[in-house]
Amino acid sequence: MDELSQEIILVISSLLPLTALYIQGQAYFVPAVKMIGIQSGVIASLAIFYYFLTGDPDLLILGGILIFTRVFLTPYILLRVIKYRTWDRERVKVLSSFLINVTFFLSITLVLLYAVLIRVIPEQYLVLLPLILFFQGMFLIASRKSTTAHILGYVELENSLVVMGIILIPPPLIIDATVFLDVLGLVVISSVIIVEKRDHEPEEELVG
Amino acid sequence: MIDVLFETIIQVLGVILLSPLYVGILERIKALIEGRRGPSIFQPYFDLLKLSKKEMSIPRNAGWLFINGPFIVFSTYVLISFVIPVVYPKPVLLTPTVDFLGGGLLFSLAGFLKVYEAMESSSNLVTLGISRNLSFAYLSEATLLTVFIAVALVTGTNNPYVTMQFIQAPVEYLFLPHFLAMASFFMLWMFETGKLPLESSGMSELGMIDDSMLYEYSGKGLMLLKWGSYLKSYLLGSVLLNVFLIPWGMQTGVLGAVADLGIMFLKWLLLLFIVLVIETSLAKFRLFKVQDFLMVALVLSTLSIVLTVTLNG
Repeated sequence: MDELSQEIILVISSLLPLTALYIQGQAYFVPAVKMIGIQSGVIASLAIFYYFLTGDPDLLILGGILIFTRVFLTPYILLRVIKYRTWDRERVKVLSSFLINVTFFLSITLVLLYAVLIRVIPEQYLVLLPLILFFQGMFLIASRKSTTAHILGYVELENSLVVMGIILIPPPLIIDATVFLDVLGLVVISSVIIVEKRDHEPEEELVG
Repeated sequence: MIDVLFETIIQVLGVILLSPLYVGILERIKALIEGRRGPSIFQPYFDLLKLSKKEMSIPRNAGWLFINGPFIVFSTYVLISFVIPVVYPKPVLLTPTVDFLGGGLLFSLAGFLKVYEAMESSSNLVTLGISRNLSFAYLSEATLLTVFIAVALVTGTNNPYVTMQFIQAPVEYLFLPHFLAMASFFMLWMFETGKLPLESSGMSELGMIDDSMLYEYSGKGLMLLKWGSYLKSYLLGSVLLNVFLIPWGMQTGVLGAVADLGIMFLKWLLLLFIVLVIETSLAKFRLFKVQDFLMVALVLSTLSIVLTVTLNG
């Protein structure tokens, strides 16, 4: 892969942590769900760019499936089934200073991960950004109380795995099928869970 | 030598004479989008002309700098138009005197003088505005410096003309730290030129930042300070366009310098379109959110520095 292509991939995948950061700082549900769609769109464009680089049609199919399922279907069904109104928000105080801390945390993680990865897998340092997205997804789940944020964090985790799959291994058709089925399952289950129980309090789990 | 002289004259006169036009165009298009007829695109020129004919009233306690400050500030901005590639892509007269950082320091000097001369008016209201201004300026100045350092690290030089040539190669343009520095500088430009959706640059808004320093000025002093603001907006915007966003397409030679005025006009239309989309689609935010906005810009530029060091090994 030439230097220019690597730089284009790096620029596209740098949007992943940025979208995740937006979701982390967003208390309102509707824009957060929409941003997950945009994040998936970034991944789809990455898959399509890889198709132009390698000529592997699996990547094109993966890109198409991602656009159909994750960019449109998941946000659409989540917004439709759960009937969020524009002003629905989580009872959380998103402090901007907190977000700034997260940004600094992100930059330090970036440097540390890069320092490690460049030695472990010198050829594949592009995997750094999906790895950051993975940690951001976990952090989103850990830091929020609403089920929606947990589901969005879970989607972020999945997104990061798909990107790692695209970057690390040439994807066989089964990955495409898995993404398709996975998302269908995810949408159904997550909708049910969110409708059933909207918030999670930490002390609930401790009550016998 | 004669050619360089002509190119210099075209660049400097282009900056001085065309800078109010872009403000007029932005106001006009914004009005049209909001369903108003709006002022003429030449309204800033009419305003400047009107102010130049008016008498300048001076507060009783005002000092020497209050009277002469506007002239110094205006001259500083004119001096900056010699040293950075705002119209012509090759060095002109006086360019070798300072580098990118020097240009940044001249901007800071003008900003400092504006604050100091406004303080000389001894008005409570102006002092209030200045304290508000400075509570944001400490972040914007830091961002300005880190962006220039980031650019210097990416390109290996602190000369804006060499940077412009360097960035034209697609491999360098698509370098991630360059994108981060570009985003950071764009945010900074939005703040510095009062284009954030919290400030309507009028005299009736409590949220205004820059205009609060002009309260006590009138007549020629106000004209020079307003014109200086237009120059500042044009200079920073042109650096954004020529060194970060669209470094291509500039022509050389005396005729090329004239053509560059038109090319810059087209580039500016694109920039104004982006600003318009942001200004008309975002809701106004609270005044103290400016610090968060600038903090994000600072983080982006710092991230650009860190990434440059790590990616280049």
